[in-house]
Amino acid sequence: MKLNDQAQNLGIRVGTIQVIAFVLLAILGVRLYYLQVVKGEYYSDKAENQRIRMIPIPAPRGAIFDRNGKLLVDSRPTYNVTLSNEPIKKIDVTDRLEDYSRGLNVDRQYLIERINLIKKQPGFETMVLKENASIQDISWVEAHALEYSELRVELQPQRFYPLGKTLAHVLGYVGEISPKQLEKPEVIEKGFRPGDIIGKGGLEQQYDEHLRGKPGYRKVIVDSRGRVQSEIETVEPQAGQDLVSTIDLDLQLTAEEQLENSTTKRGTIMAIDPNNGEVLAMASAPSFDPNAFVTRIATPEGRREIANYYTNEERPLLNRAIQGRYHPGSTWKIPESIGALQQGAITVAHSNVACGGGITIGNKFTRCMGSHGSPPLSYAITKSCDGYYYRLALKMKIEGLIEMIETFDFDKRSGIDLPNEKISQTPKSWMPSVVKREGKWSDIRTVYASIGQDTVVVTPISMLRAVAPVGVAGRMFVPHLLKEFKAIGAVGEEGDPNYVPAKPSFGFDRPEPKIIEMTPEQNKIMLDGMWGVVNGGGTGAGIKINGFDIAGKTGTAQNSSLNSGGAQDHSWFVSFAPAYKPEIAVIGLIENSGFGGRHAAPAVKAVYETYLAKHHPNLLNGQQIAKK
Amino acid sequence: MAAIIEKRNLRDFDWLTAFLAVAIVCFGVWQIYNAQPTETYWSKQIVGLGIALIAFAVIAIIDYRRVIDAAPVFYIFGLILLALVLVPGLGVKVNGQQAWLKLPIIGQFQPSEFVKIPTVLLLAKYFGARKAGTLTFKEILVGAGILAAPVGLIMFEPDAGQAMTYFPLLAVVLFLSAVKVRYIALTIVAGLIFVPLAFWVGVQTGNIKKYQIERVNVILDPESADPRGFGYHTVQSMITVGKGGLSGIKGDTETSQSALKFLPEPHTDFIFAVTAENTGFIGCISLLLAYALLLSRLVAGARQAPDRAGMLVIMAIVGGLTFQIFMNVGMVLGFLPVIGVPLPLMSAGLSAVLSTFIAIGFVISIKMRRFVN
Repeated sequence: MKLNDQAQNLGIRVGTIQVIAFVLLAILGVRLYYLQVVKGEYYSDKAENQRIRMIPIPAPRGAIFDRNGKLLVDSRPTYNVTLSNEPIKKIDVTDRLEDYSRGLNVDRQYLIERINLIKKQPGFETMVLKENASIQDISWVEAHALEYSELRVELQPQRFYPLGKTLAHVLGYVGEISPKQLEKPEVIEKGFRPGDIIGKGGLEQQYDEHLRGKPGYRKVIVDSRGRVQSEIETVEPQAGQDLVSTIDLDLQLTAEEQLENSTTKRGTIMAIDPNNGEVLAMASAPSFDPNAFVTRIATPEGRREIANYYTNEERPLLNRAIQGRYHPGSTWKIPESIGALQQGAITVAHSNVACGGGITIGNKFTRCMGSHGSPPLSYAITKSCDGYYYRLALKMKIEGLIEMIETFDFDKRSGIDLPNEKISQTPKSWMPSVVKREGKWSDIRTVYASIGQDTVVVTPISMLRAVAPVGVAGRMFVPHLLKEFKAIGAVGEEGDPNYVPAKPSFGFDRPEPKIIEMTPEQNKIMLDGMWGVVNGGGTGAGIKINGFDIAGKTGTAQNSSLNSGGAQDHSWFVSFAPAYKPEIAVIGLIENSGFGGRHAAPAVKAVYETYLAKHHPNLLNGQQIAKK
Repeated sequence: MAAIIEKRNLRDFDWLTAFLAVAIVCFGVWQIYNAQPTETYWSKQIVGLGIALIAFAVIAIIDYRRVIDAAPVFYIFGLILLALVLVPGLGVKVNGQQAWLKLPIIGQFQPSEFVKIPTVLLLAKYFGARKAGTLTFKEILVGAGILAAPVGLIMFEPDAGQAMTYFPLLAVVLFLSAVKVRYIALTIVAGLIFVPLAFWVGVQTGNIKKYQIERVNVILDPESADPRGFGYHTVQSMITVGKGGLSGIKGDTETSQSALKFLPEPHTDFIFAVTAENTGFIGCISLLLAYALLLSRLVAGARQAPDRAGMLVIMAIVGGLTFQIFMNVGMVLGFLPVIGVPLPLMSAGLSAVLSTFIAIGFVISIKMRRFVN
């Protein structure tokens, strides 16, 4: 056929079709060049990102033991139901909340909060919806795997506090890192990610870095539905180091029992070894159950429990030993007396100061509880003569008291290895605002300060730390709870890029004790006075233990701030024993219970008895025989 | 006489065209294997090629003019097959489309692939017989009618992708039957106005389904498209193509996009993405050049065709193949919407390979008889 014969430009028309075909193919070629050559790297990365997943392998968190190897905190394997972030970016899971809530028996409100959190923090790979899933929960998830492919079940070691409320304030608890914490640069630097479990409060927070260990991961290839196809590499986790604390669980249990049996069930008892600062017991009541924050946080009951901890007026979350601040009352007289001796306001030879049954400042008379004549220092301590200290403080002047406050570190934290310790408030800290408001520091404030009232509120730990040195020639240690971190082995082969070196055992990095300057004579006069409180017919005579002389000081602190409702005085007792060669120092504070010798002192005595039963059983037996 | 024809046949047989087609299918078999190494699609495709070659040889030897004479019979037969597909029990539903017919002995096949051939033949018969001069409106209507019957039946399946592949057949035939250039210009302008308008009206009236809207939106704005919903096919296809880079991934088949099931339908509609991943830019360009060469051979055949009908048959086939290649690869490269159009000679599927080889068989038959007149 001759195309040219036709009158329709057929040849041109066929050629046109051919050109169109070639142009279309050329368009495809150009597009190919763009996708493969220009953007090849970009798509290659995209492909890799969607097929490679890092599945973290949690490191077992170190356990915590008491000084005798008794288990205080452990981790146990549990299953978590988690929500993957990837699918929920696109599906609206709010429709499914009702089903999740029913299927997993989780509070709906809690689920809403969780979902909102995951939306705000795109860093989540997965988010835990329910910890500690039961067999029923797991089978529910498995049964709905197709319907709710965003749900998974993951094995996760969960923190477990077998002793419940015991030692809760010391141990703290663990929980998911908060969005607020994640914003801190130092937290980001350490590579924390949303959903990571960290210590909150107590030793869990203080030593989180060592307890936590180093998580490993599995680098895997997944298919389009997130199912693992093959493994590229596995990096084993390095477990956290086990912590041996200085706590003696038997003493701790006794202390907690005493608080539990006290009239108000509120207060703190703390025991340390005055020779090195090791904390043997630290009880604070009321207490809380750390398991609520870990295992019950997702249940409606658990959430009510936690809410109650925060709103309860008795403040169970407060560690009264280091965060409670109270007027010290007469316990304040111990550091005050040493300050007076150091400053020369009194001397060993001439320590007598008039009692006078009280003192008149301006037109106001402030009385002493008794009429003690003009007693020497040791007698003033034994009988807790207020009049003596009114006049002594006026002699020292407020500057002298402040010097004493600085000597005994009442203007500082004790340095204990626990987070969130409060600093005592004293005339030193109050001075600027009082002078600003009242024009001057009046004598009456000095008088009140002399017996640990008004401008003096101290933490129990700072008081125990100030008094304990009396028994050990003035050596004032930093109290601490860490006895030892156990060593942990290396992970992987040396030279391997994923090699994690072994971590050695280490103890508390104990600073040199601060020395409270006292001559032996000065020290003796203090010891004699404190010995007399219990053993010489003093204010604490009721707790005498034969063969194990306790040196101590009672305190009965008025609290004007709580006057409404007829709030009772705080009852204090601070002590150590044996008096002239102490092995243990104990402080007790029972809130709003009344006289120090009647409430705090017997509670402290019970701790000594437990100590004796363990370390000097013969003494305790002898005493009991003597009683009979 | 017979000996002369035999000799002439052998001399004039277009070996290069046949070789190109077979080579592309073989290349496709390799890619089907890459896409689904654990499945038997690739071996089935080899069997399909064998069957297709037999059909091809038979068609090439038969005088196409007789076939064109019998076109109405084939056409009616094709329409019956398309109607049977819609009969419950006979038609097989796959992915929501009732496009397959399951018959005893023959097995399962897709009539919409084959009916293109009688449609082309009937168009060629009608327009090939007409005298020179510009097309009348009535003639255009007859052409549209020939097309409308199979397209209408296919839309009932519904298989919009296949239905679309019929339009270039008519377009080419009309173009080559001296439709006035101003009509063409008018059609293009009307298309530019009415296609978006029709789409808009379809969206407003709800005749266009939501997934179809989304598929169009994905093309218009792939970056903000939902990569897990309707944008999934397009996004994954682009990733797969891009990942191939200049020369392909080489080995490491276990982490390929198709092995990990990121790429949907890798052995059929998205076979070009698999090719791109495995052979890279070099492989893809080679394949496009092979298509270009094949199309050139076909056009050359059209120019030498002994009669008008033969020329129309070949050019309609050229138009159909070009359109399918462009629609399919354009979809894979993410600039055309996802529509189920197979890539000629590459996608796994006996129906598609067979129908393409039958079409090429006609071309060869026509070329062999170029000097007979």
